Order: sequence, then C-alpha cells, then structure tokens
Amino acid sequence: MARGRELLRYCATRLALAPVMLWLIATLVFLLLRVAPGDPVDAVLGSRAPADAKALLRTRLGLDQPLLQQYEDFITGLLHGDLGSALINQEPVGQIIAQALPASLELSLTALLVAAVSGLAVGFSGIARPEGKLDLAGRFYGIGTYALPPFWVAMLVQLLFAVILGWLPVGGRFPPSLVPPSGSGFLILDSLMSGDWVALNGALRHLVLPACTLGLLLSGVFTNALRLNLRRALRSDYVEAARSRGLSETQVVLRHALPNAMLPVLTIAGITVASLIGGALLIEVTFSWPGIALRLQESINQRDYPVVQGIVVVVAALVVMVSVVVDLLVALLDPRVRY
Amino acid sequence: MGAIRSTPNVQPHHRHWRARGTVATVVLGLSISLLACQHNAQGDRITVASAGRIASLDPAQASTYGTLQLLSALGDTLYRRDSDGTLRPQLAAQPPQLSDGGLTVTIPLRRDVLFHDGSRFNAEAMAFSLRRFLQIGTQSYVVGDRIRAIETPEPYVLRLRLNRPSSSLESLLTSQYLTPISPKAYLNHQDRFLNNNFVGTGPYRLSSYTATQQRLVPFRRYWGPAPVNGGLDLINLSNSTALFGALRSGEVDVLLSDSLDEDQRLALDRRAEQGQLQASAGPALQIGYVTLLSNHPPLQQQLVRQGLAHSLDRELISARVSHHQRQPLRSLVPPSLRGGKPQPWPVYNPQRARTLLSQAGYCQGKRLQLPFTYRSNVPSDRLMALTWQAQLNRDLADCVALQLEGVESTTVYRHLGEGAFKAVMLDWGGSYPDPEAYLTPLLSCTQSTGNVCEEGEAVISGSFWTRPGLEQTLRRSDSLLGQERLKLLLQIDRDAAEGAAYLPVWLVTPKAWAQTRLAPLEFDGSGQLQLARLREKR
Repeated sequence: MARGRELLRYCATRLALAPVMLWLIATLVFLLLRVAPGDPVDAVLGSRAPADAKALLRTRLGLDQPLLQQYEDFITGLLHGDLGSALINQEPVGQIIAQALPASLELSLTALLVAAVSGLAVGFSGIARPEGKLDLAGRFYGIGTYALPPFWVAMLVQLLFAVILGWLPVGGRFPPSLVPPSGSGFLILDSLMSGDWVALNGALRHLVLPACTLGLLLSGVFTNALRLNLRRALRSDYVEAARSRGLSETQVVLRHALPNAMLPVLTIAGITVASLIGGALLIEVTFSWPGIALRLQESINQRDYPVVQGIVVVVAALVVMVSVVVDLLVALLDPRVRY
Repeated sequence: MGAIRSTPNVQPHHRHWRARGTVATVVLGLSISLLACQHNAQGDRITVASAGRIASLDPAQASTYGTLQLLSALGDTLYRRDSDGTLRPQLAAQPPQLSDGGLTVTIPLRRDVLFHDGSRFNAEAMAFSLRRFLQIGTQSYVVGDRIRAIETPEPYVLRLRLNRPSSSLESLLTSQYLTPISPKAYLNHQDRFLNNNFVGTGPYRLSSYTATQQRLVPFRRYWGPAPVNGGLDLINLSNSTALFGALRSGEVDVLLSDSLDEDQRLALDRRAEQGQLQASAGPALQIGYVTLLSNHPPLQQQLVRQGLAHSLDRELISARVSHHQRQPLRSLVPPSLRGGKPQPWPVYNPQRARTLLSQAGYCQGKRLQLPFTYRSNVPSDRLMALTWQAQLNRDLADCVALQLEGVESTTVYRHLGEGAFKAVMLDWGGSYPDPEAYLTPLLSCTQSTGNVCEEGEAVISGSFWTRPGLEQTLRRSDSLLGQERLKLLLQIDRDAAEGAAYLPVWLVTPKAWAQTRLAPLEFDGSGQLQLARLREKR
C-alpha cells in the first residue's frame, strides 16, 4: 500500500512538472529565435521587397509588437491549443505538424523495432560464451554502430542498395506514380486499412532503407545495454539460486536473468524513441523523408518562428510524455525502485 | 560466474538460436528481394525529380525555381519567350498594343481558354489575377510602380494604364508570377494564399499535391497542343545525392539541376557523353557576382574596386569550382540578353590590378586586408571564395589578402542592406528574361549623394553605389524600344563596370538530364523545361 501511494505521488509530481518543463522549453525557444540573426519578413518577401510591403507584413504577422506582447500572444495561443500559422505560407502550424509527425513516427517506430530486434539479438547471441568470438563481435558491433556517422552510413547505404543494386528507392516516402492513401498519415497503416496492397508495397519499399539504417545505427546501444546487464544479472545471487534449484540454463537466462536485464533496456528504448521523433534529421535529409525534423530544419532556415516553436513544443511534449510513461512502467515492473 | 562456466549446457541452445537467426535473415533477404523485384506500371507518364519542397502552389507566393517550373505546367501566361528569345502570345491573342505615348497597353485575349474548373478565361479573370498578385504577391515588387490601373473595356480585352512607358512590360508579362487563376476557385482566397491547390489554364491539371510529390494529369479541354505524355509525377528530394542517385538508378525519368552539386553535374554530363543519359541546357539566366561595399573604407576608393575587378581570374575559378560548367561572366546582363555585344568588365590582368592597387596606396608594404563573406549553405560560393583567396595569394600576395567568413544566407540577406559586408558573393536571376530585370535590381537608386546611394535597390544589394544620372538613364531605357533601348542598357552596364561596385563572376545554366529512352528535352526562353513536350522516343 505504501509503495502504491509512493507511486501515485511520483506520478502526480511528474505530471505536474510536465507543463512547467514545456513552458520553460517554449519560452527558451521563443527567446532564442528572436535573438537569432535573420528576419522572417525577408524570408517571406525577399530582401528586395519595398520597405512599406515589409512593414505591412510585419504588422500583419504581429512582428511589430513588443517582444513581451508577442510572447504573451504565443503563450495564450499555446494554452488554447493554437500554435499559430506559418509565416511563409500562412498554413496552420497544427496542420503542418499533423502532416509531418506521422512520417517521423512511422520512421522512428520502425527504426526502433529494427534497433531493438537486431541490437538485442546481437547482444543476446554472445551470452552463451562470454569473451568468445560472438561476444567479441557483439562488442565491436555495439561500439561500431554507435560510432559511425549517420549521414555517411546513410549515403553509403543509399548508393549501394538504391543506386548500384537498384533494389530500393533512393528517397521519399511514397512512389511518385501513386496517390498516397488518405487517413491517419501513417501510410503503412492507411494502406493496410484501405486494402491497397500496391500502396503498401510502395510505402514499405520507401521505408526499408531509412528505417534499417537508423535502426541498425541505434542497435548498438541496445546490444551494449543488454550485454552488460545480462552479464551482471547472470552473476547475481538469484540466478545462482535458480541454477541450484536445477533449472536448465535456458530457463535461468530467459525466466530469471533476461527480465531483470531488460529493465534498463526499456528505459533506453523510451529515451531513444523520444529523441528519434525530432532527432532523425540526418536520416530524413539523406533519404528525403518528409518528417518533422526535416520540416524543423527548413523552418529554422526560413526563420519561420511559429513553425519552429510549434514543432519544438510538440516534440518536447512527446519526449516528456514518453519519459513519464517509461518511468512509470519501470516503477511498475521493478519493485526495487523507490521514490 | 556460473554462466561463464556453464557453456556445455548452453551450446545446444546457442545453436538453436543461431539457426533461428539464419532463418530470419533468409526470410528478410527474400522479402527485400521480392519488394525490389516489383515495379510500378507507369504507362506513358513521366517522373521528374527536382530539389526542395513545393511549399505553396499559389503564384502570389511562388519564388523558388521548382515552384515556377511546376506553375509553367499548370498554368499559362499572357506571353511566352521562345528558346530563340521571340515573344509569342500565349493567352494573349496578339502582341501588346501601345497607345497614349506608351502609357496605355491593350492586350486582346484568346476566347477559347478554359480554367481547370471549367470556368472561362477572360479579361475579368486576368484582371482578378493581376490585382490579386499586386495586392498579396510576395514578389509584387517586380511589377514596381509601372501599373496605375487594370481595366477590362471588353470581355476579351485587357487594358493596363501605366505610370510611365515601360518597354520591359512585355517581358514582365511572360513571368510565371502573373499566371492567371480562376476567380471562381479563388473566391475565398482573394486576399490570402491558396497553398495546396492550383486552378489555372495550363496543359496539365493538378491531380494530387503534397509538398514533396505532385501528380499532374493532362487537361483534356486545353486550348493549345495537348501534352505528348500521359501525365507527370513530380518528386522533390531534399539533397543532391538523392537526386543524382534517383536518375542513375532509373527511378526517375528526368532530373532538373537547380541544386545539384558540381561534381554530380559533371558525372551526369560524362554519362551523357557516353550515351548512358541525355543532357539538355536552357538559356543561362542566373548570374553569380561579388558585391563590394562602396561607401566605406577601404572599398570607397574606386581604384581599389577596379584593382579587384582586374584581379579576378574567372577562368580559373570556373575550372576549380565547376569544372568549367559555370561560364565566366563579365557583365551584369546575361549574354543571351545582350544581343551578342561584348562584356564590359575587365579580363583577368594581375599586372593592371597591381598598378591600380599601388595607385590606391597598397602593395608597397601595405596589404589590403579584405573581409570576404560567402553564403555558408551554398557550396559553390565557398569554393569560389577559397579559390579567389588562393589565387590572390599567388598573384598579389603583397597587395591584397582575403579574410573569408561564411555566413548563412538568411543572415546575409537580412544584413546586406545595412552595409554589413565589405565584399560578399551572391547570385541573381531576373524574374523575366530582360536586361532591365538585372540592371534595375542592382543599380536603381532613388536617393543619392554623389556616388553614394542612400535609398533604393543599390542599398538593398549592399553596394550603395550609384552614379549621378544613372536612375534617369535606367528610366529612359524603359521608354525606348529595340536596338536603341539595348544600346542604352549596355551603356549602363559599362558604367557599372567602371564603378566596379559589382564583380560578375559566372553564369549558371539551367540543365536537365533524362534517360535515353526519352526524346530530347527542350527549354523555353525563360529557362523553363517544357514539361508538356516530355515523351518517350517513338
């Protein structure tokens, strides 16, 4: 009961802190954008537009208001769920995010799946013979994949599988000759829901390279985490106790050591998916994947304040949400966790 | 410890896991191979790739090369420049008729044109589109103060009342910015942009749109020659390598070059020479140039600027930066718009440069330290800066040294008009194919003291340079026609060369590459690829 209350208090604290964190992030990005050199009006009209046209647009966009007023408008809008409109083409920021976020989530979740499956498989494969060839290979794999520069690997993969072998598309998210299925914005899901197998094939073909590249580059983290935690778990007293009860090594590993070793991996997976949503920029750029990171980069270049603010706030909210969920899951699964 | 020592027990399981891993790998490999072997049936549709997103389809919002290229397929303009530079009526029925001392332009319109929504194109529709562009168009300054009123005296006659005679107006009317749109479709977007749709009169209508992919189908009720292909699939990729790879792998049929890396351009050209691809070039209308800040030391001395003008080895720079693909340029006006007249900026002459810099007080133990800014996000600019720096170190090491500074282009344009850069590498493409579209944006000055411009385009361009009477000459040139006008414009170009506040460096040619099964590609006089003429060889 005492633990239940503790957990509840912890949840309440985390949930209460989340808005504060989001407010801090929103304020920071608002201020940083305003002190960054460059002018969104120039980005919209070009530097050659007449001064009166620039002044008119500045007024229309509210950029002539004092900074405090702009900040107040931004926060008020945020509290009402209004992220504003893009300066460049007046498209609602919510709509921009709704279009780009599914692409990023689709890529991130698939990459996470690839990372988890391949990373854990490699991490697990060496456990039978520690310091053996497989274990050593796993260690190199863990370090190597983590150390490789993503843009370089992405370009090599692109050249090999798309350009030289011609197996998979070079970039983009969907075949240009097809009309993307409408619905949630998750093209694989939408294709499945509509039973459009040609579209599904097209969406999968475009997803394979970026997701596998990103996933394999991240898999080393999972490999190392599992290797270290599993080895530690296999040396623990409760594993010795299990062995002494006559359980087979497979049972010992799968039932006793692995679940305990997986707890830190769960935390890593949470952090990884959260960071992937906004952080897969190099992969999105290389594979022309129309996700939120690519959109964020373009908006920063154009000094499109509302789009940058909106994307950062939404990504931050997702990161906070995922980290809270992961913390709670870990707390629920591991009775040793105290708050 | 136990786990480490208990390997004999684990060995069979280890083999078991390894077997499962092998099976999974084989299944994954087979799946990928299966996916790879499936090709999409495209019929006689053509896939065209270019760089960058199409953020908006609204002509009032358009500014990028890719958007204008797309608009050229979806819409028509009143007039069009042929590849030989001839003005050809498109939606207009005849050439513009001037009256009232050039202050009134009457344009009879075609009567057989329909918008994609079935509504009829007429003078009211054209007037609606022009007024809307002037009201909300982000590039409306290209029209400037020319148009005083837009009238529709008859259903198929458009009349423009001008503030001053303007001979460049006919070229302006070829601009994609002035593409007519359906008043019916844009009823709710008269004063705001319609980003995700376009309803015009062009040979294609929009079938589907995202910022990275657009699908175009032939417009069956098009007034002109029908497209010779079954439609277009346009794809926008975010980087040069992806574009290059997409063409090489055969994933796309046509590649437009607007932001392809120089090495990759060269590689594609070489493949074209070997017969593996075909290449085509349009009229070169984009210039690269250096702006020198002429109203502050050390470049307020004309001798220093002229010395720098003589010091620039354009041939070397073109070779090192672009493998000779960027044509060396010694004029602010692209040669195709100069009527074959000689270019006025001096050729590379280090001895003359040394003499001029010596006369300005440099070279005798005094070295000119010149900050040179380049746009850090434009690879060719950086290469140009590095090459010029090295070339000056080789030729004039005791006279001048460049201090390079890379600044992101948004920041450069923000601070250019404030005189923040002593020397900066930039580029410019006229909004329409006319010398005026190059000279006015760089030289026009509405308020000046001596040779220092205080207000006008020369300020915005960062040079602050003018010459007494230059603005009047520019205005007068716009009231003349034919050879007389060209002669005056070239005189202005010569004046600018003498002032040396700008140093033209190179000319960028629009290029496209295609698979060999396609018929030769064609560009029009505005540098747009003729998308409706893309077809497979018969």
